[in-house]
Amino acid sequence: MAEKNRLKSLFALLTYKKPKNIETFYIPETEEETKRAQEIKGMEHKARGIKKPRLVSEMSKKRERGLEKDRETYRFKYKEKSKDGASKGRSGNSVVDKQVSVNIDENMGLVKKAFNSENNKDIIIREFTVGGQLRAFIAYMDGMVDRTTINDFIIKPLLAKKEYHEGECSLDKVIQQVLQTNQANKITDTEEMIYEILVGNTCLFIEGCNYCISSETKGFEKRSVSTPQTEGVVRGSQEGFTENLRTNVTLVRKIIKNKDLSTEFLKIGARNNNQCAVMYIDGLINPAIVAEVKRRITSLKTDFIAGSGILEQFIEENPWSIIPTIISTERPDKAASHLIEGKAVIIADGTPFALIVPVSLTTMFHTPEDTTLRWQYGTLLRFIRIFAVFIAIFIPGLYVALTNFHREMIPTDLLIAIAKARENVPFPTILEVMLMEVSFELIREAGIRIPGIIGNTIGIIGALILGQAAVQANLVSPVLIIIVAITGLGNFAIPDFSVAFAARIMRLIYIVLGAFLGFYGISLGIVVFTVMLACTKSFGVPMLNYFAPKLRNSNDIIIRRPVWMQELRPDNINPLDITRQPEISRKWVKEPPAENMREDSEEAGEDDRKNE
Amino acid sequence: MTEKMNDRQGYIGTYEAVCLTSIMMVTKIFYTSIAVIVKIEGTSGWYGTLISCLTSLVMFSFIFLLLKRFPHMDITKIFEAVIGRFAGKILTLLFSAYMIFYAASSIREFIEMIKAYNLPYTPPSILIFGFIAVCAIVAYHGLEGIARVSAIFFVPVIIGVVLILILASPNYDFDYIKPYFGYGLKKTIVTGVLRSSAYDEVVILAFIINSVHGLKICKRAGYSSILISGLTFSTNILCNILAFQYTAGSENLSSLFELSRAIYFNRFVQRLESIFLFAWVVASLVTVSIAFYLAIDIYTKAFRIPGHRPLIFPFSFILFMVALIPENMPEVVQVNIQFIRQYSGFFIYLAPIAILLLAVLFRKRGELHNGKKS
Repeated sequence: MAEKNRLKSLFALLTYKKPKNIETFYIPETEEETKRAQEIKGMEHKARGIKKPRLVSEMSKKRERGLEKDRETYRFKYKEKSKDGASKGRSGNSVVDKQVSVNIDENMGLVKKAFNSENNKDIIIREFTVGGQLRAFIAYMDGMVDRTTINDFIIKPLLAKKEYHEGECSLDKVIQQVLQTNQANKITDTEEMIYEILVGNTCLFIEGCNYCISSETKGFEKRSVSTPQTEGVVRGSQEGFTENLRTNVTLVRKIIKNKDLSTEFLKIGARNNNQCAVMYIDGLINPAIVAEVKRRITSLKTDFIAGSGILEQFIEENPWSIIPTIISTERPDKAASHLIEGKAVIIADGTPFALIVPVSLTTMFHTPEDTTLRWQYGTLLRFIRIFAVFIAIFIPGLYVALTNFHREMIPTDLLIAIAKARENVPFPTILEVMLMEVSFELIREAGIRIPGIIGNTIGIIGALILGQAAVQANLVSPVLIIIVAITGLGNFAIPDFSVAFAARIMRLIYIVLGAFLGFYGISLGIVVFTVMLACTKSFGVPMLNYFAPKLRNSNDIIIRRPVWMQELRPDNINPLDITRQPEISRKWVKEPPAENMREDSEEAGEDDRKNE
Repeated sequence: MTEKMNDRQGYIGTYEAVCLTSIMMVTKIFYTSIAVIVKIEGTSGWYGTLISCLTSLVMFSFIFLLLKRFPHMDITKIFEAVIGRFAGKILTLLFSAYMIFYAASSIREFIEMIKAYNLPYTPPSILIFGFIAVCAIVAYHGLEGIARVSAIFFVPVIIGVVLILILASPNYDFDYIKPYFGYGLKKTIVTGVLRSSAYDEVVILAFIINSVHGLKICKRAGYSSILISGLTFSTNILCNILAFQYTAGSENLSSLFELSRAIYFNRFVQRLESIFLFAWVVASLVTVSIAFYLAIDIYTKAFRIPGHRPLIFPFSFILFMVALIPENMPEVVQVNIQFIRQYSGFFIYLAPIAILLLAVLFRKRGELHNGKKS
């Protein structure tokens, strides 16, 4: 049977298959751009029968249903066997369909059952009477709440309440007159009530009311804001994101004090009920990006999303691309600068990183320091980074290719130096390179895992001792030690952590290609990677845009021009407002000097003349 | 905000269209083309190619007139509209076959040269396999992918070529371009007209017209790429004659490679073949990928097959086999390459022109849109 299937799959490789209708996302042009395009090109695209792209909302429901079905088949087969099954997946038992009842005992039973209170000792249910006769209870998750808030601002005022009107639900008055918490919402839906308790809020139930009140009492332990661990800068903000979602959103909002900065909260992970925030500037970002981000996140059907790392893998366009298609940053100022450009930022609870979409390859080599420094220094830094990427990816592969296949291309003196250094080494170059590359990767990985302060030290000591010992033992040539060390340095100079990983993988591939086919093999690799990257998109934006397809230059791609010359936002994301600042942003250069200064100088001039 | 990818080939801009066509034409400078021109025309080769360039401009104008007459159609549909479905299909398939022949001959020329210069001990079948595998990957990504790759690599390739020409300048002697008329003006003009076939790759625009935004852009891309290529050829032939004289210049397998080997500034800055090698391999890969993709694309258009991807594997196999047909380098150069660069124009240019004449004779023209020509 298995053999038959194998034969079938082998046969499927050779036979004709009808191409699938894969739909890809793209960002539509803004009205202004469309109008301009029409003026230039006339209606020729229509004349040639090319269909214009349609909005998703305009597509027929039937077609959508069919496509949804398709997506389900080749995406993630998450089967919801029954409605009960789904409920079970979300909360652990089948109480979520019920509504909050007027009967207090029923409600308590509901909470106990929902949280399995017999075994789960984290759920705390505290019973008391309001006004001396009305039964009530609060439910919260121990450790997730601030006890002072519950004691002083919920329980104490409730116990102090004396008036009571029998026969009516008094929760409205409780909200208005008794509860002293900053946020209090009415909840009737059990699923919502469960979620509120899970995130650290406290739910108050009172006899005779068919809803409960959720009060803001979150107070779990969290790390305070500290400096970023992987994206340090010399000049610029020293604040980094933390694991707490609310803190992270505030850190961004602290930088962008704009009423249009919107934050939408979405649930992710069916079993861990995590939260993520989608931030964007309303009226600036192309609405299609927000819609697509929300569509991708809300469509996720999985049990556990711990933070931005897992979320990124779920929503990225091309999982097979070596280069990431989403920027992950732990710097609020970087996230803010992208928001101002018209992009969206996704922050998930649990990891100190924010995701930025859509992006292109060039933005992965930008750091906030480029802007805080003067333009000459910022541009120099960018060139250094591009050089670093080149070194990190190609140098070992080129070395292998040169020494194995193209010796005639090495200048004679250098060739003699390399040959002398390699004289006593028994291994072929490829083995020598692989040996050192693997050793270097081991040192790096071990340096991260070794606890405490030894970790940093062992990295340097290990590399020095290992390199020195390997040369003395004639296992590798000193030239190779230099090459591996430069490659390592180049890799560390790449600002994006994921791109640095990609460079490591690509380096290994180029070493193998260089070893087998020399420069020819490396050229083959370059073309393959380029075409794959050129066709990879990040939320509808081609990764290599500005090079292909050509777009309007925003003066901040590779060469960072002075900030006052950056009049436009990036064209690739079609923001609703492309203009960042007017052509003459430094109005003072066109204006006369300040009045009082001119008067002072004129007076000084007159005095001088009188003195003469 | 979604779009269906298999309905069409995707769009390419003016810059990408220019790069796509130019890189396909310009790649010849890395091969025997320069030496052959110098051999036939002598010292007048550098302006003889400009005559080819002018002839190509005229020929492309006729192709453009045909496209203009049938505004909504690419050339495969025009063939069917003018000479009927059966004959039209046959003509379309001939173009597909030519593209395979072009791609296979280019691969073989490349492989023979790389074996001679860089990888003498590597089996040719492995080199061809690697080359075709990459072309298949590039073709898999469709016209959009190919156009983007062309746009990305065109400038580095041209910079590489210019760098070689400039660095080799100490070897130039301006007395070498004398006598100015080479082997005679008549020979220069006749060869110039014949060698217009070296620019006939511009015809690919007629096949991808629906992906280029309109006739105006097609026209602009066609003329620009012919002029860019003419200028590049002329400069390269001139530099080759200046460096090696017409006698030695006609014997080089690759004049540009020899120029890069001739570079010598000091003991460290010398023999910069590496620049040549990267530019050469990348340009050849892109060129063959375009031809390979177009062969499949034209075939799918002839038989109205939706999507080109399922045909990549069988066409790769055909390409591999056709590339192995010539027995050796002289056969490749004297039969395949000579046909492509000297006589293919009779088919590539004259077939569309004949169709244009037939269309005019039988008063056939494309449908108008909203009562207006596109």
